[in-house]
Amino acid sequence: MLLYKGPRDQILSPLQSICGIVEKRHTLPILSNVLIEKDGDRLTLLATDIEIQIRTAAQGVGTEKVALTVAARKLQDILRSLPESADVSLNFDDKRLQLKAGKSRFNLQTLPAEDFPRMASADGQPAKFTLTQKQFKRLLSLVQYAMAQQDIRYYLNGLLLVVNGNEMRMVATDGHRLAYASENLPDKHERIEVILPRKTVLELSRQLSDNDDPLEIMIAPTQVQFRFSAIEFVSKLIDGKFPDYERVIPQGHTKAILLSRELLLQSLQRVAILTNEKFRGVRLVLGAGSLKVISSNAEQEEAQEELEIEYSGEALDIGFNVTYLLDVLNNLAEQTIECRLADSNSSALFVLPENEYFKYVVMPMRI
Amino acid sequence: MNSQFRRIAHLDMDAFYASVELLRYPELRGLAVVIGATHDAQPVLQVDGSRQFARLRDYVGRGVITTSTYEARALGVFSAMGMMKAAQLAPDAIMLPVDFDAYRHYSRLFKAAVAGVAPLIENRGIDEIYIDLTDLPGATLMLAQRIKQAVRDATGLSCSIGVTPNKLLSKICSDLEKPDGLTILDMADIPARIWPLPVRKINGIGPKATAKLATLGVTTIADLAQTEPAVLQSNFGRSYAAWLQRVAHGIDESPVITHAEPKSISRETTFERDLHARHDRTKLSEVFTALCTQLAEDLQRKGYLSRTIGLKLRYDDFRIVTRDLTLPTPTADPGVIRRAAGECLRRVPLDRKLRLLGVRAGGLSSSSAPQIDHEPPQAELPLTV
Repeated sequence: MLLYKGPRDQILSPLQSICGIVEKRHTLPILSNVLIEKDGDRLTLLATDIEIQIRTAAQGVGTEKVALTVAARKLQDILRSLPESADVSLNFDDKRLQLKAGKSRFNLQTLPAEDFPRMASADGQPAKFTLTQKQFKRLLSLVQYAMAQQDIRYYLNGLLLVVNGNEMRMVATDGHRLAYASENLPDKHERIEVILPRKTVLELSRQLSDNDDPLEIMIAPTQVQFRFSAIEFVSKLIDGKFPDYERVIPQGHTKAILLSRELLLQSLQRVAILTNEKFRGVRLVLGAGSLKVISSNAEQEEAQEELEIEYSGEALDIGFNVTYLLDVLNNLAEQTIECRLADSNSSALFVLPENEYFKYVVMPMRI
Repeated sequence: MNSQFRRIAHLDMDAFYASVELLRYPELRGLAVVIGATHDAQPVLQVDGSRQFARLRDYVGRGVITTSTYEARALGVFSAMGMMKAAQLAPDAIMLPVDFDAYRHYSRLFKAAVAGVAPLIENRGIDEIYIDLTDLPGATLMLAQRIKQAVRDATGLSCSIGVTPNKLLSKICSDLEKPDGLTILDMADIPARIWPLPVRKINGIGPKATAKLATLGVTTIADLAQTEPAVLQSNFGRSYAAWLQRVAHGIDESPVITHAEPKSISRETTFERDLHARHDRTKLSEVFTALCTQLAEDLQRKGYLSRTIGLKLRYDDFRIVTRDLTLPTPTADPGVIRRAAGECLRRVPLDRKLRLLGVRAGGLSSSSAPQIDHEPPQAELPLTV
């Protein structure tokens, strides 16, 4: 039975948008497959890793109904290695999927669609929001780098999403630094707080476009659904309590300096070369009119940069993991940032001048 | 040195646990006795000074037999058999609870006694060892007899010894004349003594390989030695086939390893009845915490820190799943182990009932080795939930 006939890209690109979550090694072999369902001339492609399920559609042919599963990566790799202009057909016959393009033939094994695990749909009435893909993607990019990775505090291996009134907030922390970003929503909503798993965040951020097309979000108690472009993306939520982020954001830091993001970033990148490989520590030495950035490594090599700043307060010498500073500077686009400090044992707060929508807190390092 | 001329002994204590129990309860000598994890099978001292023992027929539960005396084995009762099933075969058999502390004590005694005669020893568990006799003066028979006598003098227990040019053959030989056996073979004896044996006698050919070999018409080691290498390779894969080929000809170069650090330490328990993750949450959590506490104590007692905590579950359908978590810093702390194992538990499906729960500490390092114990340089955010 013919499932698809047409240009390579019209089947490859939907396939690529769902294949990102397919795990290379999984205890359930069928999870390395993609579920292909054909209902008339509508093809639905679905992949899952049990935590996340992504579904998208493609244009099929014919009038019949059929469903099968086939190795996702193999199919994707074959399609990708065919010439871009190739016309492709997919034929399902006798439990095998045949892919033809020009003089190329590929016969792939299939597994029954009935055996493919599907995520149960959420119970109860979900809370719904709509914003643009660009807005959500930007929020993600402002905080996602601060998520923990395989932390024993499992709730940190993800991102806190809070909707309250007409504001949406995102918070991520690995216990050493915390990133916070918020955005206004067009209308008011009841307060809701969920933790999105790390993989979901990274995959969403990869897939969302930088445009004003809508993104629909439906949040249920145990799962969240995102609809954008032709994609339906369902993810389980992390069941846990996220730390009280508001307590961590310092209020009374008095030593405030304005810095050119670009200049500070470049200085840090250079100085980072001579940091201790394990701890990656840099010293920020604040004095009248100047900020020195200093590093040294185990081989007694040293680097020093100096930035001119407007500052006349007390002197301060404080150390940080340079990676944590580079992360925040790399993920902002603004020209000027503000850094607020207290003493060498207290956190640093990075904000954008005249802006309450972004905050980054990083704890110091003893050097 | 030509490995043909090695002299490797395998020493296996005879019905070790049961024999230790018989030292304690000599009146049970000659009777069918089984030992298993039964708390209430403790013998009761009577007024007249005699002891009353529990009988297998009175057993109700799902315990399995840990070991049994040769008399019980003659009735068809073997290790790992369910006690209720064993009760049908040998209702009058005496039942005793396991006492690992006693077995460990005798294990230390017999190993020390062997070390007095032959110091190059590889530990293979509580009741068996390999001994390298190659460089010792004296005839093999005399050395082996001295070892057996030393074990008997130190413990009052008998053992069986096989001496051959390698570990593989010695392991087979120690079993040939059990109990109280002594078998010495060299490579020339292989066709007569080893080849007639079934393939499962080889350490490393388990039930699956045995069954698969049987489908190829291979039941004895002789059959295996005569099987075409190509046939083995197409059925078992390259490396296992090559190994089968070698062992069938009695070839094994593996050295006697006299010192080995453990790779991991674990604790596990099979529940009295299958438990459900939600409905039996309290019970399960209690057992879970206890296992982690015991594991932490094992680590502390043995002087190890663990970097990787693993979880093992067996479902009621006997499927096993395991999950691991690597910690940022090595630990022997029960709380940290419990949290890490709990984290692993979140990553397994819990829709079926559980039969067994186990916790494993891997990635071991010595706790006396220098650790970075000073305050880590990176300060933590004051996170509170």
